[in-house]
Amino acid sequence: MGIAARVERFVAMGTRIELHVFGVGSEDALVAARRAIEGVDDALTIHRPSPTTALNDELLAGHSVAIDDPVLAEALIAIDAAHALTEGLFDPAADRRFAGAGWGDLVFDRSSARIAATRPLALDFGGFGKGFALDRACAALRDAGVVCACLSAGESSIAVIGEHPLGGGWPFAIPDPSRTDAVLVEVELVDEALSISTTVGAGTQAPERAAMIRPTDGGIVTAARCTVAIDRTGGAAEAMSTALLVADAARARRLLDAAPAQRFLYDLSKAAARTDDTARMQAA
Amino acid sequence: MTDKDFNLSRRSFIDRVLTATAGAGMATAAPWAVSAASAAAGAEPVKSNPVRLGVIGTGDRGRALIQNIAKSRNCTVVAICDSYAPNLVKAQQWAPTARRFADHREMLDARGIDAVVIATPLDTHAKLCFDAFDAGLHVWCEKAMARTIADCGAMITHAKAAGKILQIGHQRMFHPTYLNALKRARAGEIGTLTQIRASWHRNNAWRRAVPADANDRQINWRLYRDRSAGLMTELATHQLQVGNWFLDAVPTRVIGSGSICFWKDGREVYDHVALIYEYSGGRKLIYTSLLNNARYGCEEQIQGSKGTIEPELGRIYQEVPAKVLALQRMHKDVARGHKRTVPIGGATWFPELPVTTPGESLGWGEYDETMLQFEGFGEAVRAGKPLPGLLRQAYQASVASLLGEQAMDQNQAMTWPTNLVAI
Repeated sequence: MGIAARVERFVAMGTRIELHVFGVGSEDALVAARRAIEGVDDALTIHRPSPTTALNDELLAGHSVAIDDPVLAEALIAIDAAHALTEGLFDPAADRRFAGAGWGDLVFDRSSARIAATRPLALDFGGFGKGFALDRACAALRDAGVVCACLSAGESSIAVIGEHPLGGGWPFAIPDPSRTDAVLVEVELVDEALSISTTVGAGTQAPERAAMIRPTDGGIVTAARCTVAIDRTGGAAEAMSTALLVADAARARRLLDAAPAQRFLYDLSKAAARTDDTARMQAA
Repeated sequence: MTDKDFNLSRRSFIDRVLTATAGAGMATAAPWAVSAASAAAGAEPVKSNPVRLGVIGTGDRGRALIQNIAKSRNCTVVAICDSYAPNLVKAQQWAPTARRFADHREMLDARGIDAVVIATPLDTHAKLCFDAFDAGLHVWCEKAMARTIADCGAMITHAKAAGKILQIGHQRMFHPTYLNALKRARAGEIGTLTQIRASWHRNNAWRRAVPADANDRQINWRLYRDRSAGLMTELATHQLQVGNWFLDAVPTRVIGSGSICFWKDGREVYDHVALIYEYSGGRKLIYTSLLNNARYGCEEQIQGSKGTIEPELGRIYQEVPAKVLALQRMHKDVARGHKRTVPIGGATWFPELPVTTPGESLGWGEYDETMLQFEGFGEAVRAGKPLPGLLRQAYQASVASLLGEQAMDQNQAMTWPTNLVAI
């Protein structure tokens, strides 16, 4: 007898979401997971009125704000942790309009859920939102009894629950975004999340996609890079892949050495070289 | 080109037409071409007892026709007529032995011709046709048929009453590329046809210099409303015929917008037209023509669910299949107990730019279809029997162009007339 499988496909977070559930789990598991993702989208989007745009209005006006949206509050806590994890390289407050502004200009009191800015700035959660949404969806699925699932937010953000339906890790191959016939790395996930960030490839040309800002100087990242990060949570994986994309050599080295089997950085400017030579491609 | 080279070229062209019209259903889809090409294939190697033609109107188009008639095996120009003397002089080099007339009545009265070829301004077509039929002659007339829908019908009625052939010039109906395109469309290669986007875009004033011995209405007759419907009758007619032909129907109604948008030089006809012709089943022909941008030129994009045909470019394109998503494959793998690596991380957003795949050639060749038109006309005159199906196509194309003009002028949707002449 085959393994029962269910799938939910929809558009949210500005991308295509796919939720694949295998085996046990309550009937409403997928609906709950979808609602969780849509709830994150509603809370974190800056493309329509949301708790985040309301927060940004207040921060730009120099006001201290009490966060009353629980999803936004949870996201800010996760971002605070991710900012520290990435040596400050993941910074949703980095903004070319306000050169030098960053997360360090915010005072965030987790206990009271109050946040204030010492200078005008605004938050843009970018890809972090997708990973964070997958985390919330995974939590909803687990609450619904799901033990085996694969979730995708636009293919560059993946989260899995448990092992592959046929046992062992979930095997994924990360293609070279600049060469469709080449693979950068193959990884296996179990109860983990994966994030891929790149400055090249078709996806980077999407009209609504914002430029990647380097928080250290507010410049736009133009180096041809692709980064891959694996973590227990999607939010952390997203933050790390973003950080690796903007990191200078020294910071990149430190971040990669801290988890060499879970963090990868590829310099795609050497396009003539074989891209499956991952040892050479990884940043020195 | 030597006579031998021309004979080879002619043979090759006719073979391509025969090949293109040999497919299933083509005998009903393009019966005129089947008939004309079959006759041409069996034609005598040299002209003998040709159909004698008198050409009325020896401007640029008339002179081009005279040159094509010269290539045919069964027609010859024995008389030329134009009220503007310089045109007659220019035409003489292509028909040096032809008698010359300044008035068409004199040419008709002089006898010695079997048929007339009309290549004059649009508003004169109907009257010249009537006079020719009254003189007992057959008629080959340039498209569009006439300035009004009523006159288009009257031309057919007169031809019937006189028992004479009326053939309208639509060279695409004899072109091997178009015939091959139709054959492949009918064979289902581009799936269900739901839309045709047709355009004829030029970047010029469409205005000719007026010699001292002429006036603007004579030379630039296409820019005057009482003489022409402008872009609709002079250009769109061809493409509307293609649309009707490929969609195997006539429009149910048309909406449109026209304007004198760029060339504000006193002209009376639109220099920008945009129309939607609706066909049964929700199908559409979207037509634009303008005179200040030539990037997209002249083309009919025949769009089906499996592919596209662009006959002017002579290409057929298959739809690029949708990307197979990695997770869908994974899902299926699990269902059959198979585990393999999932390629992931590809962008899920791709710019929806025009697909630039090269497609496949529909076949190309020398542009001799006008010659074949006349060989077909010559055979029709000899047999006293028109090329099957051709006049219906031409009539419907002319009506479509004039109905489009009405839709733009009246700023309202125009339904297909129910009182057309039966053919």
